[in-house]
Amino acid sequence: MSKLSFRARALDAAKPLPIYRGKDMPDLNDCVSINRAVPQMPTGMEKEEESEHHLQRAISAQQVFREKKESMVIPVPEAESNVNYYNRLYKGEFKQPKQFIHIQPFNLDNEQPDYDMDSEDETLLNRLNRKMEIKPLQFEIMIDRLEKASSNQLVTLQEAKLLLNEDDYLIKAVYDYWVRKRKNCRGPSLIPQIKQEKRDGSTNNDPYVAFRRRTEKMQTRKNRKNDEASYEKMLKLRREFSRAITILEMIKRREKTKRELLHLTLEVVEKRYHLGDYGGEILNEVKINRSEKELYATPASLHNGNHHKVQECKTKHPHHLSLKEEASDVVRQKKKYPKKPKAEALITSQQPTPETLPVINKSDIKQYDFHSSDEDEFPQVLSPVSEPEEENDPDGPCAFRRRAGCQYYAPRLDQANHSCENSELADLDKLRYRHCLTTLTVPRRCIGFARRRIGRGGRVIMDRISTEHDPVLKQIDPEMLNSFSSSSQTIDFSSNFSRTNASSKHCENRLSLSEILSNIRSCRLQCFQPRLLNLQDSDSEECTSRKPGQTVNNKRVSAASVALLNTSKNGISVTGGITEEQFQTHQQQLVQMQRQQLAQLQQKQQSQHSSQQTHPKAQGSSTSDCMSKTLDSASAHFAASAVVSAPVPSRSEVAKEQNTGHNNINGVVQPSGTSKTLYSTNMALSSSPGISAVQLVRTVGHTTTNHLIPALCTSSPQTLPMNNSCLTNAVHLNNVSVVSPVNVHINTRTSAPSPTALKLATVAASMDRVPKVTPSSAISSIARENHEPERLGLNGIAETTVAMEVT
Amino acid sequence: MAEVVSPVPGAGRREPGEVGRARGPPVADPGAALSPQGEIIEGCRLPVLRRNQDNEDEWPLAEILSVKDISGRKLFYVHYIDFNKRLDEWVTHERLDLKKIQFPKKEAKTPTKNGLPGSRPGSPEREVKRKVEVVSPATPVPSETAPASVFPQNGAARRAVAAQPGRKRKSNCLGTDEDSQDSSDGIPSAPRMTGSLVSDRSHDDIVTRMKNIECIELGRHRLKPWYFSPYPQELTTLPVLYLCEFCLKYGRSLKCLQRHLTKCDLRHPPGNEIYRKGTISFFEIDGRKNKSYSQNLCLLAKCFLDHKTLYYDTDPFLFYVMTEYDCKGFHIVGYFSKEKESTEDYNVACILTLPPYQRRGYGKLLIEFSYELSKVEGKTGTPEKPLSDLGLLSYRSYWSQTILEILMGLKSESGERPQITINEISEITSIKKEDVISTLQYLNLINYYKGQYILTLSEDIVDGHERAMLKRLLRIDSKCLHFTPKDWSKRGKW
Repeated sequence: MSKLSFRARALDAAKPLPIYRGKDMPDLNDCVSINRAVPQMPTGMEKEEESEHHLQRAISAQQVFREKKESMVIPVPEAESNVNYYNRLYKGEFKQPKQFIHIQPFNLDNEQPDYDMDSEDETLLNRLNRKMEIKPLQFEIMIDRLEKASSNQLVTLQEAKLLLNEDDYLIKAVYDYWVRKRKNCRGPSLIPQIKQEKRDGSTNNDPYVAFRRRTEKMQTRKNRKNDEASYEKMLKLRREFSRAITILEMIKRREKTKRELLHLTLEVVEKRYHLGDYGGEILNEVKINRSEKELYATPASLHNGNHHKVQECKTKHPHHLSLKEEASDVVRQKKKYPKKPKAEALITSQQPTPETLPVINKSDIKQYDFHSSDEDEFPQVLSPVSEPEEENDPDGPCAFRRRAGCQYYAPRLDQANHSCENSELADLDKLRYRHCLTTLTVPRRCIGFARRRIGRGGRVIMDRISTEHDPVLKQIDPEMLNSFSSSSQTIDFSSNFSRTNASSKHCENRLSLSEILSNIRSCRLQCFQPRLLNLQDSDSEECTSRKPGQTVNNKRVSAASVALLNTSKNGISVTGGITEEQFQTHQQQLVQMQRQQLAQLQQKQQSQHSSQQTHPKAQGSSTSDCMSKTLDSASAHFAASAVVSAPVPSRSEVAKEQNTGHNNINGVVQPSGTSKTLYSTNMALSSSPGISAVQLVRTVGHTTTNHLIPALCTSSPQTLPMNNSCLTNAVHLNNVSVVSPVNVHINTRTSAPSPTALKLATVAASMDRVPKVTPSSAISSIARENHEPERLGLNGIAETTVAMEVT
Repeated sequence: MAEVVSPVPGAGRREPGEVGRARGPPVADPGAALSPQGEIIEGCRLPVLRRNQDNEDEWPLAEILSVKDISGRKLFYVHYIDFNKRLDEWVTHERLDLKKIQFPKKEAKTPTKNGLPGSRPGSPEREVKRKVEVVSPATPVPSETAPASVFPQNGAARRAVAAQPGRKRKSNCLGTDEDSQDSSDGIPSAPRMTGSLVSDRSHDDIVTRMKNIECIELGRHRLKPWYFSPYPQELTTLPVLYLCEFCLKYGRSLKCLQRHLTKCDLRHPPGNEIYRKGTISFFEIDGRKNKSYSQNLCLLAKCFLDHKTLYYDTDPFLFYVMTEYDCKGFHIVGYFSKEKESTEDYNVACILTLPPYQRRGYGKLLIEFSYELSKVEGKTGTPEKPLSDLGLLSYRSYWSQTILEILMGLKSESGERPQITINEISEITSIKKEDVISTLQYLNLINYYKGQYILTLSEDIVDGHERAMLKRLLRIDSKCLHFTPKDWSKRGKW
């Protein structure tokens, strides 16, 4: 055998190697040379180190002795293990847990300062501690912040003051010390840190730079598109998270405010309980001349006598509930008669609708959503319409405010006054909003029109006003009013009302006692009467002035639209005059009429419509003219249609005086200027029932002042006839409607109905598929927000804006 | 124990030029270089007195790497040739045998290629450079004063210089090291991004050749670092660097440490415990999730691992920290790091037993644990190269004992001679095949007999093994390991 044959085979890792032990071992002399056939494996060391003296010695020693000898060990620098202060340094003991230790990665970041105080700092601290108390940790936090805020450039003292929440002296002391120390410090920072790489690559070879990021290769090796997409996703995620945070914060704020409000309400209720103010009179009186917010809170906004109990009137919550019920009712009815609103709209124009149309924009809703809880005001300028009013009116906060981005037309004041049939009454028109028919319990008599003020020490002062009706009014006995179970004790009596009512029926300037009483009974007129403390009064109290107004409105509304039907129900129940069937039939008639009108209107003024809707204010002004014209015809119409029971104020009044009315009435009566607008809008928007529904709802929600109602009634009759003039009128009406809602809102911020109204509106919108109606979701959200009447109060401004923007 | 990285193949050749360039700025006190007699300067070689383990005086040849002047007294940083760098130290004038001083040769470059003593970037070349620089005042070095010398930054001498002249980089290049081949195409601008050990030492300079931390206090222990570690530079002047025993954060002074301990409530490494038997526990730390601890650990480890690189972040690594429990907490004994995904079957990147715990079996325990993990993963593995001297000894010892244990445990079946394949050994132990073969070779067990390879277990070997196993009391108990390997490839890169 040649040597070649021996060496040929390589070591095969898969081939079994027999193991020979001890005595079995063959004589391997022959094999020695063969060993070379197995290539020597590298040690894995750097060659130069492989030959190091100690290693070689150790290796050879191992091979010789098969174990390590002490002297053959590779020497290393010594280490001591006798730190004698160890136990003092590491205090306490740590018990080994039974379970394996599992650490949550996020537990690792504690917010402790990275800076550790040294003995030099300690001396400073001792010095400072003579003057003030400063803890080591506090000091470390300060230094830590200073360090982390400075790079090569030290922060200035000013910046330091911003950074540190300490008193100035301490900051100054620490800052100066820090600056000095930093200058003497060799390193770039007092907190020793590993040198970071620099982007320019200048540190590529710096031995003190460590832990460079391995960016180059890592990033986008596989598929960059994925990376980009995921990056985008991450960005989006981040954005959404931050939005969520914002929203949550806002919710938090809102809920806080709500809670606060609840507490306040509770307090108020308790106070009232102690005072024995079961009927809410004290509350109402106290609220006179108060700012809007308080007004909202007042029970004045109650609409449905049926639903309200005495105490409910006082607390806001009950209001809310009742309103909800209403809303649901309305919704139901809407479904039944989805198509009628048009006809009704016409009618409504004749009848005084208590409410304005709240039109809602998405954007507004958003704002509402976010700021609802906040009391922040939007930068709104007083509209020209409301200006004159405000000069007279103390209700600053309730005043109409301009919404940015909206165009407003100038009001036409001149026509407003003329709307009344009798020039004599023009003056009274102005007054009517501030004064309401008032009866006193002691002495028991009616003092005619008056308004309440709160004087020093909470005294209630009645400012009376003389009207033509005074002789008649004097005959009114509170008992008479009380006798009407359905009618409210308090009737908001505005001169306009009476007149308008009269005009609608008899075209007389003066109203007879019976008429007034009937008006009061039918809730067209509101009469203020102090509440009696006994329970018996509760019934009468239930039907407060607001209620009647509402009921009236409701009736009208029902006639006009399905949504109205609901309210009308309530109204009916209150007045007991009209049945549902009647309503329906009447509605149908109205619908037809309205359609015709609409057709004409659309032809001529489609363009106007849109513009008007977008700019409610301007329209409002224009409408005033129409209103004035319409009064007479309207009255007749009204009489014919039993549905319309409430007098409507002239639109001009509506526009102007809602604010004032509100102030005067203060919870007793809420101006229903909106009602007019509602009707008009209905007419205008008959094509889009959703909006009308909204309006109606709104009106329902807001108690309408009776005085306003007559005007509306008058105006609506005019529009009803299908004349060309009617068309124009209708247009005007539309304008009015748009405007009025705003005002109403302002006035009745507290009135809880709005949420329900909104809900209704949404429903209606969805049902009718009206493009103009804002998305139901948005509305519903608003409704949700409004859940509590207090909320409304807070968000009143927002609401108003919404209404205004609605197109 | 520390493992060493394979040298860069191309490095050897390039060295002369590089060295020249790098060395440009002399680190030492210029005065030394300027001295007319060619007084002791960097690059000089001369016998230096040192005391060996047996407490005997020796005069091994040493190279002056740096000179510093402290309060008028010169100190020389010497590297004992053919001794590991960890023994480098600052010595005083008295310990130098000036009679036998060799100055750096001028023709340094020629020998480089031949692999002659001068070939290394060693002293001779440096001397040349030195002189050149001395001539040119433009060099930044002269301006440096005492503090500067404390932090020698300018010297860019290759780390290889430390090696004996006879050892060439070139020879390294020829080595089978995979790493070296990777980088053989030239010196990259930045080191490769895989692994934890230096494969390309082209960036080594005089700074990293010298220890920069004098002493580290860690818990009960005071450690003398062996190698350079990139702790913040301002801390390198401190006589003692104080580390928090549990989070390994570094502080300037005892007071700082005291303050830190009021804020740090860690009593164990900040990771998940995956093994516990008796007082020994292992904690797994993700280098991406717990950066600060990982970095602190690396900084500490670098003090004892010559070839470890801290160039890149710790994201792709897992750190397995072995601790010993007492009433104060879980004290770090050693650790090994491991790439989450290794392309080269590495199951260990860096591995270290802290000096106070060395030579007590902990190193082998660490190694054993690393193979236990590989067993759970169902893979074979090998430590990243290069190995250090201690690493080599430890691994060889572990491999030998593990393989011998298997071989001796084999029973003959039905009178047949027991047999086993290398693959089987590898599968049982998770030791990579190449390591099995090299161990068998090292133990001289492989013989060729009658046309086939056989394994022979001599009495000598068996006795030695049995004696060694008697001493090996610390063992890993796989039942105490609670470890589920993760598939890192599925979670994005790292």
